[in-house]
Amino acid sequence: MSRLQAEHLYKVFGRRPEDAAARLEAGADRDELRAEGTTAAVIDASIEVDEGQIFVVMGLSGSGKSTLLRMLNGLLEPTAGTVRFDGQDLTSLSDKELRKVRSEKISMVFQHFALFPHRSVLENAAYGLEVQGVPRAERERRATEALELTGLKGWEKSWPDELSGGMQQRVGLARALATNADLLLMDESFSALDPLIRRDVQDQLLELQKTLKKTIVFITHDLNEAMRLGDKIAVMRDGRIVQIGSAEDILVTPANDYVASFTQDVDRTRVLTAGAIMAEVGTVLGSTTPDGKKLGTGAEFRAAAPATVGVDTPLVELFTPCSTSTVPVAVTDANGDLVGAVAAERLLAVLGEPADQDATPGVPAQAAAADGTAARLDKKPAEDGPVDDKPEDKVIAGA
Amino acid sequence: MPRIQIGSWANDAVNWLRDNLDWLFTLITKVLNGLYDAIHTVLAAPEPLLLAGILAVLAWWLRGLPAALLTFLGFALIDSIEQWGPTVESLSLVLVACLITVVVAVPLGIWAARSRVVGGALRPVLDLMQTMPAMVYLIPGILFFGLGVVPGIVATIVFSMPPAVRMTELGIRQVDPELVEAAEAFGTHPRRTLLRVQLPLALPTIMAGINQVIMLALSMVVIAGMVGGGGLGSSVYNAISSVNVALGAEAGLAVVILAMYLDRMTGALNQRVSPLGRRALAKAQAALGGVKFLQWRPATSVAMVGVVVLALLAGGMGMFGKGGGQAGGGNGRPISLGYVNWDEGKATTYLWKEILEERGYKPKVQALEAGPLFAGQARGDIDVQTNAWLPTTHASYWKKYADKLEDLGAWYDKTSLEIAVPSYMKDIKTLDDLKGKGGEFGGKITGIEPGAGEMKILKEKVLKDYGLGGEYKVQESSTASMLSELDRSLHDKKPIAVTLWSPHWAYDKYPLTKLKDPKGSFGSGDSLHLLGRKGFAKDEPEVAKWMKNFHLDEKQLTSLENAIKGAGEGHEQDGVRTWLKKNPGLVEKVAPSAGATYAKGKDAGKAPNIGYPAWDEGIATTYLWKNVLEKRGYKPNIRNLDVGPMWTGLSTGQIDVETDGWLPVAQKQYWDTYKKDLVDVGPWYDKTSLEIAVPSYVKGVKTLDDLREHKDEFKGKIIGIEPGTGEMKRLKDNVAPAYGLQDFEVTSAGTSAMLAELDRAYHKKEPIAVVLWSPHWAYSKYQLTKLADPKGTWGANNQIKTLGNKSFPKKFPEFHGWLKNWKMSAEELGSLEQDIQDAGKGKENKGVEKWIADHPGIVDKMAPVK
Repeated sequence: MSRLQAEHLYKVFGRRPEDAAARLEAGADRDELRAEGTTAAVIDASIEVDEGQIFVVMGLSGSGKSTLLRMLNGLLEPTAGTVRFDGQDLTSLSDKELRKVRSEKISMVFQHFALFPHRSVLENAAYGLEVQGVPRAERERRATEALELTGLKGWEKSWPDELSGGMQQRVGLARALATNADLLLMDESFSALDPLIRRDVQDQLLELQKTLKKTIVFITHDLNEAMRLGDKIAVMRDGRIVQIGSAEDILVTPANDYVASFTQDVDRTRVLTAGAIMAEVGTVLGSTTPDGKKLGTGAEFRAAAPATVGVDTPLVELFTPCSTSTVPVAVTDANGDLVGAVAAERLLAVLGEPADQDATPGVPAQAAAADGTAARLDKKPAEDGPVDDKPEDKVIAGA
Repeated sequence: MPRIQIGSWANDAVNWLRDNLDWLFTLITKVLNGLYDAIHTVLAAPEPLLLAGILAVLAWWLRGLPAALLTFLGFALIDSIEQWGPTVESLSLVLVACLITVVVAVPLGIWAARSRVVGGALRPVLDLMQTMPAMVYLIPGILFFGLGVVPGIVATIVFSMPPAVRMTELGIRQVDPELVEAAEAFGTHPRRTLLRVQLPLALPTIMAGINQVIMLALSMVVIAGMVGGGGLGSSVYNAISSVNVALGAEAGLAVVILAMYLDRMTGALNQRVSPLGRRALAKAQAALGGVKFLQWRPATSVAMVGVVVLALLAGGMGMFGKGGGQAGGGNGRPISLGYVNWDEGKATTYLWKEILEERGYKPKVQALEAGPLFAGQARGDIDVQTNAWLPTTHASYWKKYADKLEDLGAWYDKTSLEIAVPSYMKDIKTLDDLKGKGGEFGGKITGIEPGAGEMKILKEKVLKDYGLGGEYKVQESSTASMLSELDRSLHDKKPIAVTLWSPHWAYDKYPLTKLKDPKGSFGSGDSLHLLGRKGFAKDEPEVAKWMKNFHLDEKQLTSLENAIKGAGEGHEQDGVRTWLKKNPGLVEKVAPSAGATYAKGKDAGKAPNIGYPAWDEGIATTYLWKNVLEKRGYKPNIRNLDVGPMWTGLSTGQIDVETDGWLPVAQKQYWDTYKKDLVDVGPWYDKTSLEIAVPSYVKGVKTLDDLREHKDEFKGKIIGIEPGTGEMKRLKDNVAPAYGLQDFEVTSAGTSAMLAELDRAYHKKEPIAVVLWSPHWAYSKYQLTKLADPKGTWGANNQIKTLGNKSFPKKFPEFHGWLKNWKMSAEELGSLEQDIQDAGKGKENKGVEKWIADHPGIVDKMAPVK
């Protein structure tokens, strides 16, 4: 069941925002409004986030993702649309009720950490509890626990400016966790960190999430981060959500050129999994290995395959086995049953896709743009020449 | 381009505010005065070194040991150079001003930071406050708040407010918006966000603003000294206006020490009050190595204990120090004396201070610029100023404020205005000698303030008369600059011509030649006047009388000035005392103490019953005698009776005597009836007459015939008194027919209505004819013409007689003797009636007191005792 739902959210800055929102609903253009001095930051955004899910909103700066996030906890009041959390309509609450919801149910982690420089690490972590009015002893105990969770035990008495960036953000995370809020809003929370440290905290977040099972909305402009963290990803452009889907959806079937160009630089080998590109076992059966072994049955195939991997295994782990043998790698499901095979050619073909698109910016790209955001490119696999039809069907089926 | 009357609008606005918001200004004045007094009392109570100790402990807490030691040394130095009193006054002023500034400015700054509209609206106002020259609002400040510390505090607040508002606004705006958002995201109430996040983070910036406020306040306090703000400002002002380098240096040094202390302490305060400041302090101390003990500072609690202990000590000692006190001999009424800080002003002011103290008053002296002095006195803040140069030098002020001031007369008239040159310029003796020497003097005569009367005469008259206009330019400056310039030139033995006046200490100090003025172009010279505020003579008749009779000759003045100079700055009164010792009897002569010791009469203790009708001359003389008799130890009873009953009472002996018998004409019938039981003590006034009077501004009406000719002008009306009085009857029966006035309408509303009508018409300058008689106070109050009666129709003149019961001479022989010899002149009676009239109903005695004070010796004249 989805805990957080936002329906048809609009946010317009400038004069008479309601009128502008109404016009947008009626189909007016964003640029049209801008000429009149009003800025439509978010246009008709609807999202649903399930319990325990990390929902990533991705987009370039100015795409409206931060505005969208701030409407979820009422820091910005939507011009139109509703936000529901646990069935409660946040847009209809009074200021006081809204503050109560924010202090108890929703936490936020900021891009530049937003730690109070005049408070110690412990006082920072305890801030939300202080606002709730929790007595000092208890809030210090809980804040200490939260700091422990984020690996900052022993730093309680320090001051924020004595900590490295990564540690500071872990204080920010501890502050958000200490209140026991169910919904965590993270606004580009790791963007200001060095790449190595960023990886660390991403890992830590994923690790924590395994046990805490918070509902998280995570804003980022970094697709790799989105792919890494996101159970579900919404891509925003110019205030609109252009695609919502899993990392693989976004990568393999981008809704349009924009999304596609976004995914260009993504390290697919880490995002795509064996399950996503595998061919049916049948395509292997009946073939012969270079050393003459006949692969008649699944068992024979598994025995001959250079490796057996799970459906969730990222492609990057398939390269080594593939390179050692011409026999495809065997893919098994969670039960260990053989479900498919990944051949070396297939692996290379999938990774080659984006380059192909760039090289021939012809019919497919234009067709995609003309079809609009919801286009499902049924034709596209057929044009991916060297690869035979069936595995492609598989990909689509898996999306 | 049309002339836009901004200046006159501002003037109107100021007047309107004074008229309509007086209560508000009074309230502000009270509050500020109260605050200042409270703080000043606390700070001035302890011994100087103890307070220096307290300040040092504060410095220790804020900045460490070296700062504490320097603080103590600095304030001890201030004490040593005798600037402690003014320093404490200035400190109190600064504290009050800053307190109010911060209380107002910080919320304003917060508001401005939160609302763009408010911020935008405030900005030009702040610019105005910061850049408008202080003097521009100091003078209206005096009009609103009076002289003293309050206009100084207000001006200081105005001047020092902008940085506090700006820095607060800036500080709040500078707080990282992400932090504010974070607070909001955790559900913090906006008020709490402000108090717990924005303000603590903005505090370093706000403190920097407050530091600036204190510095600006201190600089303004010096300027406020010129409008009577007191403190170091007064010292500095005294110094610069008398080219007293020594005092200037000392006062200046005290300002610097105070400024540095306040600056360093408020700078360091940030490290104590703001969490960020404490963080920075901790870091700095951690980084510091060896000399840590110098940096060690007592914890807040320790410092607090230190301050409290010292303060308690101070309080105790302050109390013991104040024990005893002076039991005021006299009535202890305060009288404030103001003077323009010229030597003769200082001399007379301190002389009067000493005299008044001897007579039991509590005089307060204040040196001011002429502008604030006149403005303040017009408002009633200064009772008396001692050195008004009239009619020339202070003409502009006198013209402006004459109706708010009373001239208590000139006490010195040997002044002169002149141009002076150094005596070593041997061939220049007269103004004529200046001709052709323009090159030598650089074509320049060093002048004083451009507004001064002397400058005007010099430029408009003297230069023309002596043909110096083309050759010399009069350089406008100020008295202080002129004197410094003179000092410099004399030191370098260079030629210089300055505008100067006598008496002036410069003639004592430097060898100067007053240039002769054979053409008399400078005029006959000013007299030095004592000016009282309006109503002063009425409130303090005795002092006013003394002052009116006060004179000094040149020798006295010079020797007094020298005695004061000899005693040194701050010890003026000692100089006066020294001088008085050499002039014994002067106090007694200037302010005779006789008032308190009237000799008793022989019949002292007796209680004559005096009756009187409710006519002005009856009231006046009866109260006069009552007063005189009381001074002689009598216990007179006075009773107001109608004419008939009074005569009856006199005849039966219930009334012993009355002073208002109009004989032989007006009250003939009573006299004829009762004369066998009465004695005629004798007439005291014989200039009575009945008449019709018109205001003197009605031209061409001098006689009753003229009145007829101008009938239309008077709308055919004569304003009469009570119908049935002898005078009205006579007017109707004899006067009107003789002059053809029968067709005039004679109203008969009564005496008081007649007088009211007269007053109304007089103010509107309308023609009016009234039935009147002499003596009457109306003749002293208004300019009236008694219409001549060439045909003698009003009849023979009455005398006013004192009449007594036949037993009166025996019962009160002494009183009887006094009355027999008593006479009053028309002027005396008129002024007595006027004084009683001015004092108001029910305060007749006060009017009489004033009149007696104005007529020294009158008691002895009326009621001589051996």
